[in-house]
Amino acid sequence: MAEPARVYLHLAAAAVRATARRPAYLAMRTLAAALIVVFEVAGVVLLVDRFGTIGGWRPAEVVLLFGLAFAGQGLALLFGDTLEADKVSQLVRRGTFDQVLTRPVSPLGWVLASYVDTRFLGRLLAGAGTVVWAANRAGVAWTPGRAGLAALAVVCAATIVFAVLLAAAGFTFVTVQGSEAVNVLVYGGQYLASYPMQIYGPPLRFLFVWVVPFGLAIYVPALGVLGRQGPPGLPAWLAWLAAPAAGAFLAAGGLAWRAGIRHYVGTGS
Amino acid sequence: MIEVEGLRKVFRTRRGPVEAVAGIDFRVAAGEFVGYAGPNGAGKSTTVKMMSGILLPSAGRVEVCGLVPYRERKRLARRMGVVFGQRTQLWWDLPLQESFELVGHLYRIPAADRLRRLRRLEDVLALGPLLPVPVRSLSLGQRMRAELAAAVLPAPQVLFLDEPTIGLDVEAKAAVRDFLGELNRTEGTTVILTTHDLDDITRLCSRLMIIDHGRLIYDGTVEALRTAYGTTRVLVVDLAEDEPLELAGAVPVRAEGRRRWFQFARDEVSAAELIARLLASNEVADLTLEEPDIEDIVRRIYRGET
Repeated sequence: MAEPARVYLHLAAAAVRATARRPAYLAMRTLAAALIVVFEVAGVVLLVDRFGTIGGWRPAEVVLLFGLAFAGQGLALLFGDTLEADKVSQLVRRGTFDQVLTRPVSPLGWVLASYVDTRFLGRLLAGAGTVVWAANRAGVAWTPGRAGLAALAVVCAATIVFAVLLAAAGFTFVTVQGSEAVNVLVYGGQYLASYPMQIYGPPLRFLFVWVVPFGLAIYVPALGVLGRQGPPGLPAWLAWLAAPAAGAFLAAGGLAWRAGIRHYVGTGS
Repeated sequence: MIEVEGLRKVFRTRRGPVEAVAGIDFRVAAGEFVGYAGPNGAGKSTTVKMMSGILLPSAGRVEVCGLVPYRERKRLARRMGVVFGQRTQLWWDLPLQESFELVGHLYRIPAADRLRRLRRLEDVLALGPLLPVPVRSLSLGQRMRAELAAAVLPAPQVLFLDEPTIGLDVEAKAAVRDFLGELNRTEGTTVILTTHDLDDITRLCSRLMIIDHGRLIYDGTVEALRTAYGTTRVLVVDLAEDEPLELAGAVPVRAEGRRRWFQFARDEVSAAELIARLLASNEVADLTLEEPDIEDIVRRIYRGET
């Protein structure tokens, strides 16, 4: 990516200006993106409340995990929403992607910048608000270190969601058909990984921490925020591994995207 | 400017391999205006995609502006303009003005150069009043003019056009053609025009390439095509009086009141001879000579009748 980042900023600014031309519509979509978080969180609260605690975690503490996950999702979708399988499939079938390839820019940079969707700020902010609210209810005394851990969790969760979307997009270049299966994996997987890890048996826990490291990105830093001890094998200090794990996952997603582009250029569609 | 040698593209499909481009060779010199025609599925757009770096060839060599398209895609993109008639390269929801600004950023055109060039394009393409209008609100003809301006704003050395006049009315077609001819003459831009509209080709192109089943079946001037394949001409006669008429060396193909159509073979009898014979025997009010219709010729070539 030799071209200055300025080009992509211009593209992203154009995308934002385009949506801002219909402010009422944008406001409604942003509000809807935020309300999804509110409803999901309310669902978790009602569920956990029935049991009193889940794996020894009180409702507010579980909600904190969900807040971090939603904020991460919002941050990832702000840029990566178009990478969803059915949207990539549309870019390919409408020939838009061919046009992107005739521009003197990186195709990934183009797609991310041109389809920035500010309504996901709604999800990001609602997620962040949920974290603050839940932390307050759980009696967290905020320190710079704890705030840093929460931010780390959001960024790492976003990175992982983004990496999964990137890999799915690469896959869609090969299949062309959009697949709901990917969405199930991304959102279903993240939903499951948002519960405290100790409720899962070793195989699932291993999956969420070391394979698709949502648990490492969200749950482990949250231990630090809440001042809790993790279950055996998941100490709070593992949080320093969250960033490298998310980075490695992103690199893998990037490779899948590149393989997808190579396939596309090789065969067209 | 463009060199293509033994170029092939094979698509693997569920029903087995399909050879979309089956080994074609051609060279296009800088400043040429080439029409690229062929029936649907003949391999036209596959060739163009390989020339513009969107598709990797299965075999053979392709070079555009001295660059290998798929390997040096971004560098080539800076020297190349592309217009797809049925899709937009503009920013749909924004005022047209902003599309030009974004193209300026994408191709790193200094603002002063962009404005100077845009002022000229605005004049030629009558874009001035359209600048504040969102692209989605432009008519097809207006949008096409805007697409062309955006494509040539970076002053490309080579321009690939795919059906640039499709769906346009007569006036809009003329505006697009005038602009392209002018661009080719004054800036020496090499143009490859893919189209079904043979009128575009006869009016603009110094050279015509026809592809069918992945192979080049014709590469030459439009005139040469006419002489090679258009062996018959038609003499249209308006007689002074409604009377039977026979003409040696020509076949009557139609009659309507006092008007008669006679078809004759170019290499058997000359038009002058035929007219002399006609005037010797009948009183004639008017005469016209119809050259073979290029569209007819090409249709016959597609059908394999020649």
